[in-house]
Amino acid sequence: MSHPIPQPSFKARAEAALADRTLKLAIDRTTGTAEAKRAAAVAAFPEFDAARRRGRAIKDHVIAHLDHYLEQFERNATAAGAKVHWARTDAEARAIVTRICLDADAKLVTRAKSMLGEEIGLPHALADAGIERVETDLAEHIIQLAGEAPSHIIWPAMHRTREQVAELFRAGHQPPPAAEDPATMVQSARRALRAKFLGADIGISGANFLVADTGATCTVTNEGNAELTTTPPRIHIVTAGIEKIVPSTAHAFALLRLLVRSATGGELTQYTTFHCGPKRPGDADGPEEMHIVLVDNGRTRMLGDEFREMLRCIRCGACMNHCVVYRQIGGHAYGGTYPGPMGSVLTPVLDGLAGSRDLPNACTLNGRCEEVCPVGIPLPTLLRAWRSRSWREGLEPGTLRAGLGVWAMLARRPALYRLASRIGVRALRLFGRGGWIARLPLAGGWTRYRDMPRPPGRTFMDQYRRTRAQKGGRR
Amino acid sequence: MTARDDILGAIRAARATPARTAEAIAAEAASLLDAPETTRPGLAPAAGDLADAFARKAGALGTTIEHLPDIAAIPAALRRYLDTHGLPASLAVQPAAEFAGLDWGGVAIHRDLAPDEPAALGLALCGIAESGSLVVHSGPDAPVLLSFLPLHHIVVLRVDTLLPHLEDYAALMAKQASPRNAILITGPSGTTDIEGSYVRGAHGPGFLHVILTRSTD
Amino acid sequence: MSAKPHPRVGLFVTCLVDAIRPQIGFAAIQLLEEAGCIVEVPAAQTCCGQPALNSGDDADAAHLARQTIAAFEGLDHVVLPSGSCAATMVHGYPELLADDPDWAARARAFAARTHEITSFLVDVMGYRPQGRRLDASATYHDSCSGLRDLGVAAQPRAMLAEIEGLQMHGLEGNDVCCGFGGTFCVKYAPISNAIVTEKAEAVERSGADLLLGGDLGCLMNMAGKLHRRGARTRCFHTVEVLAGLADGPAIGEEA
Ligand code: SF4
Repeated sequence: MSHPIPQPSFKARAEAALADRTLKLAIDRTTGTAEAKRAAAVAAFPEFDAARRRGRAIKDHVIAHLDHYLEQFERNATAAGAKVHWARTDAEARAIVTRICLDADAKLVTRAKSMLGEEIGLPHALADAGIERVETDLAEHIIQLAGEAPSHIIWPAMHRTREQVAELFRAGHQPPPAAEDPATMVQSARRALRAKFLGADIGISGANFLVADTGATCTVTNEGNAELTTTPPRIHIVTAGIEKIVPSTAHAFALLRLLVRSATGGELTQYTTFHCGPKRPGDADGPEEMHIVLVDNGRTRMLGDEFREMLRCIRCGACMNHCVVYRQIGGHAYGGTYPGPMGSVLTPVLDGLAGSRDLPNACTLNGRCEEVCPVGIPLPTLLRAWRSRSWREGLEPGTLRAGLGVWAMLARRPALYRLASRIGVRALRLFGRGGWIARLPLAGGWTRYRDMPRPPGRTFMDQYRRTRAQKGGRR
Repeated sequence: MTARDDILGAIRAARATPARTAEAIAAEAASLLDAPETTRPGLAPAAGDLADAFARKAGALGTTIEHLPDIAAIPAALRRYLDTHGLPASLAVQPAAEFAGLDWGGVAIHRDLAPDEPAALGLALCGIAESGSLVVHSGPDAPVLLSFLPLHHIVVLRVDTLLPHLEDYAALMAKQASPRNAILITGPSGTTDIEGSYVRGAHGPGFLHVILTRSTD
Repeated sequence: MSAKPHPRVGLFVTCLVDAIRPQIGFAAIQLLEEAGCIVEVPAAQTCCGQPALNSGDDADAAHLARQTIAAFEGLDHVVLPSGSCAATMVHGYPELLADDPDWAARARAFAARTHEITSFLVDVMGYRPQGRRLDASATYHDSCSGLRDLGVAAQPRAMLAEIEGLQMHGLEGNDVCCGFGGTFCVKYAPISNAIVTEKAEAVERSGADLLLGGDLGCLMNMAGKLHRRGARTRCFHTVEVLAGLADGPAIGEEA
C-alpha cells in the first residue's frame, strides 16, 4: 500500500478538520474562485455539452481498446528513443524509478507535480534511496516545505492560507520573502528553485496524456515548471497511469478543452507540452535519456468491475471543488492520495475497502459532482456500488445493520409498519414540547446540532383512513 | 510472466467482446473526431481575420501584442520594448536563420541563456487563433529553455502561419516527425497556487510579448 | 403533455410525511384533485426503500421496490411529494431490478408512470393554482435529487409565481446540498452540521419569511437548524403553500 491509512479514523480526521477554521478559510478561498471560474468558462463555451459527450466517447473508446493503444504507444515511444517500462503495482513502479536514479548515480531529482507519483509513493521512495527530491510546482514546493501530502489534485496546497505559506517561505527560503502577498512569495519561490532546476541530474514528470500514434507524453502546467524540470537534466522519467492513453494529438486536444475549463476555468493551460523521446541529435537542449513507466496499480482490475467508468477520469478536480463534504473537511481528511468524490471511488480500489469504507458512505449523494464531471462519470452511482459491496462483505457496522434490519422487517410488512409508526409517532411526541424535540435518544447525531420537528399524534395513513371511513370513501 | 504480459493479459481478460482489428479501431478513433466544429469554441470575430482573433484571445491572457510590417523592423521595436520595461539593451536571441541578418543597432545580443535571463527573443512555428497560443518546437536552433528561463519572452509570429483551431495544428503535426518537445504557449507563466489568486511569472516568463509580422522579409 | 383529463393517481405519501407532517399528504391530495385527478392512497405502501438503497442493502431495497410496484399496479400515475423518493423509484427501481426477469420490465413501466408532485402538476396536468393569496416573502431550496435526477426546478417556481402577494427572494447556493443525505446526517453528523449551518446562514441572509422546498427530509434538516439558531424563518413544503396552508402552522409549529 502506497498510502498507509493514517491512524485516526476518518471521522476523527473529519472532526479535526471541521474544528480548523483556518483550513476552512483556505478551502473557501480556492474552491470559491475555482467554482466561479469554471462556471464562467462553461457559460462562454456553448458547445460544452457536446464536447463533453465527445470526450466521454473518446475515453470509452480508449478503455475498450487499451491493450491495442498501449502497444502502439510503446512502439512509437521506443522508436522515438524512449525506454518504456511496465509496472503492475505501486511497489514495482517505485522500484523502477529508484533503480533508474541509482544507476545514473543521481544526487538531485526535480519533480513536476504528478498525482500518479503520489499514488505510487514516489516521494518517500526517493527519500529512502537517499536521493534529494525537489518539488517544482509551487504548490508542491509549499507542501514539501510543510512536510505534507497534497490536499487537492489541482491545488495541492489549497489547505494553506497565504499567511501560512509566508511562514513556510520565511523559514525555507534564503533570503526570506519580503512580504506576504502572493506575488512577492511567488517571486521568492522562483529565485529559490532556479538553481535546482539547472543542477538536477534527473527530472521526473507525470503525464496528462500518452499519445499512442506518436509515442509522446503530454504535460499541462501553468507555471512552466514541467519544462524546466524535464529539459536540463540528463534523464527525464515519466510516470503515468495506463488509462492516460489517447489515440492521437487531436484526441488529446478534444479532452484538453474539457480538462482545463473544468479545472481552472481557463481554455488551455499556459504550457501544453508534448515530450517525444530524448533530445534529437544536434538539439540545442533536452535530456539524453527518456524513460516512461506505465503503471497499472489496480486499473486493469477496474476494467472488469463496476468501477470501469472511473477510468475515464481526467483528474480535473471539478468534482471536489463542487463537493459539499470536501468543502467542509478538505482533502487530508479523506486519507488517500485522491480526495473528494473521485478519491472516494478510487481510494478503496487503491488502499482496500476495509480501511476506507467511510469514504463512499460520507457523501449525501447530491449529484453535483456528476453534474460537473467533464467526462460524465456517475460518481454517486459508483459510490453507491462501494456501499453495496461493503454491505455484502459485512464491513458495515453491526449497529447500522441491526437498525436497518428492524426497519426493513417492518417496511416489508405494511400492516405491521402502520401499527409501528402509529405507536412510534406517539412515543416520539413524548420527547418534545410544543413543536420541537431538542433531544432524542438514538438520534443524537440529529439533535446534537438541530431540533427535530415534533410529529402530530397521528400518522397520515391513520388520519386518511379515518376521513375516508367517515366519507365511506374509496380504497 | 513480465509485468507487460500481465497487464496486457489482464486487459484482454476483462474484455467482454472479441478484439477488433487495428483498422476497425482506427476507423472508430477517426470517427470520434468528426464534425469538430460542434465541440470547439468559435473564433471571435467569427470568420474574420485570424490575426485579429488570435490577438483578442492572447490579449485576454495578458500577452501583449505588437504589429510590425516585417522582420527588419524588429530591432527597433525591441529597443523600445526593453526601454519601456527598464531593461538593459541586451537580449538572448534564438539562433534562427530568420534573425541572422538583422541589424541590431544598439542591442547587444547573445545566444547562451543565463539562469535569470532578463529577456529573450524567439520565433514561433505557428500560432493558434482559437486559444491565442504560440507553438514552438525544439530543435538544433530552437532551445526549449529559451521559452522558459527569461522573465520577458518576446516571440515573433508570422501572420501567415496562424491556424484557426487546435485540430489544424494536430493535422500539421501528424504530417511531420515529432520533435523532442512540441510546446503550446498560451499566455505568460502564472500560478493560482496560493489561495487561488493569480500571479504571473511563477517559474517561466512573467511577460509574453508577441510581435505579429505580415512577412519574413 | 397529453394526459387523460381525470387520471387515476396513486399518492405515495413517503414515510417521513406519513410520520412527521401528514398535512403535506393532504395538501398533495387537494392539489391533485384540483388538477382533475382521482386520487387513491394504496394501503400497502410503506417506505420507498431509500435508506436500504443508500446503505448498500440492495436485497431489502429490491424487496421494497417490488412491494411498492405491486401496490400501485393499475393506476395511471404514481405521484410523490418528494424528489428523492421519486428519484429512487424512477432511477433506483429499474436498476435494482434490472437482472430480475419477472420484474425488470415492470420496474421500467412503473418508473415511467412515476412523478414528483410539482413536476407532475405542471408538466403532466398543466395545473396552476388559482385565486391564492399570501402576503409574505419566501425563498426556495432546490433539493438535489429532484433537481438533478428529475429536472424539478422551473415547475414549483411557476406555480408559486401564481400566488398573489407572495414575493420570492433568491437564495445563494439554492442548488447546493443542505447536508441532509438521509442516513448521512446521523452517520456523519458533524459534517452534515457544518453543511446545514452554511445553508441556514444563506437562508437567513435571503431575508425571506418562508423557506420552501420539495423534500421533507431536507426541510426538517434546514428547519431544525434554523430553529436551533433562533432564526425566525418558517419552513413549508411547496405543496402546503400552494394549497393555501401557509397561514397555518409551519414545520415545528404546533396547531
Ligand atoms: S471524476 Fe470527473 S470531475 Fe472528478 S476529477 Fe475525474 S474527471 Fe474531474
